[in-house]
Amino acid sequence: MRKIYIMLLMSSVVLLTACDMLDIQPTGKVIPQTLAEYRALIATAYKTVPDARGLACFRSDELYVKDDSWEQDRYGKIECWDDFSAPGQTTAFEWKNFYSIMFTVNYTIEERESINEGSEEDIDQLIGECYLLRAYMHFLLVNLYGQPYTRPGALETTAVPLKLNSDINEILKKNTVAQIYEAVIADINEAEKLINKESWEQKFSYRFTTLSVKALRARVYLYMGQWDNAYQAAEAILAEKNTLEDFNAETYTLPNNYQSVENITALERGMSSNYTQAAVLSEALASLYKEGDLRLDAYFKAADKNGYRFSQKSGKDDFRCSFRVGEMYLNSAEAAAQSDKLPQARTRLLELMQKRYTPEAYTVKATAVNAMTKEALIQEILDERARELAFEGHRWFDLRRTTRPRIEKVLKGGTYVLEQDDSRYTIQIPREAIAANPELSN
Amino acid sequence: MKRRLSVVFLLLIGTLTYALAAERQVEGVVISSEDKLPLIGASVYVTAEDLKKNGNNQSTIGVITDIDGKFSISIPDGITRFYCSYVGYDVVEIKLIPGKKQYDITLQPSAHMLDAVVVTGYQTVERRKLTAAVSKIDISDQMVGAAKSIDQALTGQIAGLSVSNISGAPGAPAKIRIRGTSSLNGTQDPLWVLDGIPLEGTNIPSMEVLKDIDNVGQTAIAGLNPADIDNITVLKDAAATAIYGARAANGVIVITTKKGKVGKPVINFSSKLTYSPKLNIDRLNLLNSEEKVGLELDLLESGYPYRETKGEVYRIISGLGELQNFKDGGWNALSSNAQGAINRLKATNTDWSDILFRDAFTQEYNLSLSGGSEKATYYTSFGYMKENGNIPNVSAERLNLVMKTSYKVNSILKVGASMFANRRKNSTYLPDDRGLTNPIYYSRLANPYFTPYDANGNYNYDVDVEDDTDMDFGLNLFEERKNTSNETTINGLSSIFDAELRFDDRFKITTQLGLQLDKTSIEKIAEEESYVMRTEKKNHRNNGVTYLPEGGFHKANENSLSQLTWKAMGEYRDTYNDIHEFEVMVGTEIRKTWEEKLYSAGYGFDRKTLTTKPIIFPEESQAFKLHEKAHVENAYVSAFSTLSYSLLNRYTLGGSIRFDGSDLFGVDKKYRYLPLYSVSGLWRISQEPFMANAKWIDNLVVRASYGLQGNIDKNTSPYLLGNYRIENILPGGSEDMIDVSGAPNKKLRWEKTHSVNAGFDFAVLNQAINLSVDYYYRKGVDLIGTQMLPLETGFEMLTVNWASMQNQGVEVALSTRNIHTKNFMWTTNFNFAYNNNKILKEALREDALEPGREGYPVGALFALKTAGLDEEGYPMFEGKDGKAVSAMEFFKLQEWGFGATDLTARERRELYTYVGTADCPYTGGFNNTFTYKAFELGVNFSFDFGGKVRSQPTYSIVDFDKGRNTNRDILNRWTPENTETIFPVLLSQNERLDEYMWYSNQNEIYRNLDIWIRDLNYVRLQNIRLGYTLPTNFSRKLGMTSATIAIEGRNLLVFGSSYKNYLDPETMSNAYATPAPKSVTLSLNLNF
Repeated sequence: MRKIYIMLLMSSVVLLTACDMLDIQPTGKVIPQTLAEYRALIATAYKTVPDARGLACFRSDELYVKDDSWEQDRYGKIECWDDFSAPGQTTAFEWKNFYSIMFTVNYTIEERESINEGSEEDIDQLIGECYLLRAYMHFLLVNLYGQPYTRPGALETTAVPLKLNSDINEILKKNTVAQIYEAVIADINEAEKLINKESWEQKFSYRFTTLSVKALRARVYLYMGQWDNAYQAAEAILAEKNTLEDFNAETYTLPNNYQSVENITALERGMSSNYTQAAVLSEALASLYKEGDLRLDAYFKAADKNGYRFSQKSGKDDFRCSFRVGEMYLNSAEAAAQSDKLPQARTRLLELMQKRYTPEAYTVKATAVNAMTKEALIQEILDERARELAFEGHRWFDLRRTTRPRIEKVLKGGTYVLEQDDSRYTIQIPREAIAANPELSN
Repeated sequence: MKRRLSVVFLLLIGTLTYALAAERQVEGVVISSEDKLPLIGASVYVTAEDLKKNGNNQSTIGVITDIDGKFSISIPDGITRFYCSYVGYDVVEIKLIPGKKQYDITLQPSAHMLDAVVVTGYQTVERRKLTAAVSKIDISDQMVGAAKSIDQALTGQIAGLSVSNISGAPGAPAKIRIRGTSSLNGTQDPLWVLDGIPLEGTNIPSMEVLKDIDNVGQTAIAGLNPADIDNITVLKDAAATAIYGARAANGVIVITTKKGKVGKPVINFSSKLTYSPKLNIDRLNLLNSEEKVGLELDLLESGYPYRETKGEVYRIISGLGELQNFKDGGWNALSSNAQGAINRLKATNTDWSDILFRDAFTQEYNLSLSGGSEKATYYTSFGYMKENGNIPNVSAERLNLVMKTSYKVNSILKVGASMFANRRKNSTYLPDDRGLTNPIYYSRLANPYFTPYDANGNYNYDVDVEDDTDMDFGLNLFEERKNTSNETTINGLSSIFDAELRFDDRFKITTQLGLQLDKTSIEKIAEEESYVMRTEKKNHRNNGVTYLPEGGFHKANENSLSQLTWKAMGEYRDTYNDIHEFEVMVGTEIRKTWEEKLYSAGYGFDRKTLTTKPIIFPEESQAFKLHEKAHVENAYVSAFSTLSYSLLNRYTLGGSIRFDGSDLFGVDKKYRYLPLYSVSGLWRISQEPFMANAKWIDNLVVRASYGLQGNIDKNTSPYLLGNYRIENILPGGSEDMIDVSGAPNKKLRWEKTHSVNAGFDFAVLNQAINLSVDYYYRKGVDLIGTQMLPLETGFEMLTVNWASMQNQGVEVALSTRNIHTKNFMWTTNFNFAYNNNKILKEALREDALEPGREGYPVGALFALKTAGLDEEGYPMFEGKDGKAVSAMEFFKLQEWGFGATDLTARERRELYTYVGTADCPYTGGFNNTFTYKAFELGVNFSFDFGGKVRSQPTYSIVDFDKGRNTNRDILNRWTPENTETIFPVLLSQNERLDEYMWYSNQNEIYRNLDIWIRDLNYVRLQNIRLGYTLPTNFSRKLGMTSATIAIEGRNLLVFGSSYKNYLDPETMSNAYATPAPKSVTLSLNLNF
């Protein structure tokens, strides 16, 4: 009897200690459940947003790669549209990170009902941001790897897969450009219903707000060539927020700085610090800045001993900028001009110009702009866009969605040409992505 | 006064009894036949039966041998024989010879070994009831020999346990596999158990990167002093290991340390002095200066473009501005100035092996004191070893202290406490990220004409060896040796407390508490003037200028690993009518482990002031971590039970079951407790009545077992698991972020391994032949493996229960006593294992360019079959119909495709042929012991057969770097003058561009040619040892009970299939590894 008693005692002691012992919360590990935890999860998604717009601008005409073996190894092939020879150390265009953001936001959207410790309003806000992130990532992907929406016949061509759930067993096929834009618009609409925050503390202004929704909407419609919608969306923002940095003022902040009054959403880096070190202002862009344009010296450092002008509006986290007021003026002006609202277009363009040129130069500009025909005005707006949004990751996408012009680059290695409407206006899906999913090659 | 009286009294009684019955006094000494040492406590007796027959009324007469093995017994007249017995030895009957008084008795270890016991770490099982596949080996001075650690000493000793020495550097761990590889993802190292407590920190990290060979730390095993170990039991099948739960899937090695024996104190002193000669790199067949200069001249003249500016010849010629002359007109176009300089270069031959390596001397001393009384026993030992490597500054030092005591508190309670403390200090060179500062590797690359010092004794810098066209700074290994250091200090402490409550013969409770603490401190210092520091500065630059402060670096790691294990077991055994025997054990175990890691780095370090300077990072994105801390904590709770039932001592059935629970954060609760079990049985045929006549058969047993083992992947969860970090997106906006740590897998389940074992033990002719054969089959299903995912999932891979693998094999252990005469004995111990490993199912990426292992062993090697060289020296391949085809045809290269192929990934995989496995399927050892009088000669071989090795190509055909020295194969490459060769021509961009680009872009193709595959078959003369035991009379005069002196040669000879161009077959696949050193050891062992 005693033996049994001892054995029982022993096992009960063990069982009691056992239950507590096994509940170890590993340091730093978590299964997200509360709103704060989901917020931290989405913060990582924001942090992961690739600098792909900036990298794509190496293909544009606004810059060229510094003559240095390190930089040439990384960007040399991108600048001359060489997507076919062995990549070597060439910086790869992102693929996986876009979709890892997609996984996180899809998972969060699916788990919406289980998020606790947060007000309904705050949870809505977070879920709305998820929708908007998904919309924006698909938008960036389709503009990198799909044909431009405005190119005739592009709508039915396949671009990238749409990822609208967190299922990891699904093998996706590419969707058409039309389907992707449709999904982007649907997600923006969903985000509009949920996002309720008008602003964040400045240091968290990378997060989406009600204005971000409108700003993305304006840009998407602009890219689709739906001018009325684009105009309305841009004007909706300008109704709420329209202050521009004044380059004639004693002090001003560069407009793509997150602390600038123009900031709407300070998320993407555009040109990362690595890109900034490699990218030199091109002659093509420099020549667009005319006498009296204050931006040339504000945006770019003075020429160094090699004659290189490097950007001083990028390369630091201060210059994170996805949407800003200046862009909205240009979106509005372009959409207005395209839809024959020439006076409105002139007004928005000149409002911006007034803050960017010396008063003397502005007067000359104003006269010229007021005299322009529709075509000339549109061209002026696009040039202004190139000047205003230089080195912010817009140029390549703008070239794509507009005229897809012939570009000729005279580089150290020789002369390279991208023909008018060249197929290389669409970037190849990265090899490793096709390797992991051969469906992508179809 | 009193004492004297009693002596007189005793004498009186003695005479009295003598008078009553005439008796004869017999005396002698009892020794063991194994080691010729006296047996203390052996019984010398006359049986009651004989006494009865003799009409004697005494029931028994018996004495016990004393500390020297001596006895003295009075035997009544009329008795004609007496007996001598000792646990573990056969009983001997001694016939009394009239008039003879002195009897020296030698006991043979028990043939049946029925009395012997096997320690499993949880239980002590009598061998007669042992149903599992278990091997036991006694650790003696002879067995360990000159091996520095216990893992190395196991080489070639146990069937089914293979030991490979991944590096011969001092203190390097040996890789041990028991019955092949059982896991695809997890650890493959066995579980080590010290006196019942499983050790932590015994796994050898997997080495994906060959040059990391020197960063492999020591395991806890290296902290054990082999001199403190009494025996080792290896548990191989599921029946033996199930009791250890999930951790035992790779087998268990149970170490039992020495303990004090009842008797007067025994002092043992042993010392080993080892000499290991300098490494000789002649086997590498490197070019001498004449050949190297000739090669450089040839390549330069032919306009070979790759790294044209490398090599001294280029610098001489271009320095004199004669490059074009030379390219146009050759040697004769050079000025006499240039010719003279080149000829001087040819005449300079640096003997790298002489200056990079040294003769090494190792010393080891052990001192132990043990003894005890009926109440208490004790064992204390002290050990010191310092092993010097053949590379200067490389050494391993070990200091051990062991204290073990055991007390019998009263008739039912016994308690024990032991403490194992060790301190290790290992020094080695400081590795850089390319492996260039590794002297073993550098000795292969250094140009023979390069001299490390100039005429004034200043350093010369080697700018050729760097695999980079940058030549802004060079390497000098002697500067490196002086200005860098890399030291690891490990303090290990294990402490075990145990208590045993034995209520009666049938029931006992034991409990054990084990504590282990290993603290590793690594300190790496590089001074400003060192290659490592210069590289570091180069890697941290902003706009071409380093932002690291002036000075060197100091990097420190502090890692600690601790565990606490407590277990308690109740054991009950009973016998009914001598027919049924039961044994039940129930127990529980709680274990907790803590692991802390701290890394800290300081730059701008100055050795004199020990100060560092702050780094001013030019921007946030370039900042790297200077201080990191990690903490991991795990807990386990288990319950287990074993059962054994024997009928008539012939049939035994055994079973064991264990439930393991552990803290599995984020893992479904239903996976918390995993049952593991085994059933086993044996039939002792030799005990059957029908075998009674076969007296020559000592033992014949048939055994069988089945078991299920399981494991769960702790890193996979059905939920989304995240790791916290704090980061900012905008300046000043630091906040919590959660990283997703892996794809959630909702279909996660147990990985299971089914094991079957069948075997027999057979002993005949009084143990002259002892044979054990085991067959095993293990099949792992639902093994956790990685499955590649489309990137659109957001993940690259997922861990899934997908793979399946089987292992089957045969193990044979044969020990024979070949010759046994009065003075001479020859015994052999042969063990052999065959393991066939096969992956039944494995995930393979659709785009994989090399074949998957499904249907092949885990170490499968695949190669492209070549078919000689074509008329321009380009490799030809064996086409589908066996005909030789060109690379263009074989790889379907596109004409003017710049190395593009029309083949799909699948078709490319199909070009490969399976050539063999990197893990030798046949392994074993052949150990001989010859004893002649006081001399003993041990000759031990270990062997590995049937493997293949993919050696590194001796030169590259597309980008041969002429800056580095190389193997002579390059001289034998195809040239128009040398067409009879297997070594292809150096390809040039200027001809056959498609092929050039192909080899250049797909650099695995050339490496995978079958010409680089080597056979791996070798027999190693592990050691040869001659020992001499001083005559007892002589050692006694010196106050010793025994004294042995021995000389041993270790690793003197390796023979087998060719390992030309390599130092040793075992390290053929890794040019960075130190080969196993040859050594001669003089050892001394004294007992007082």
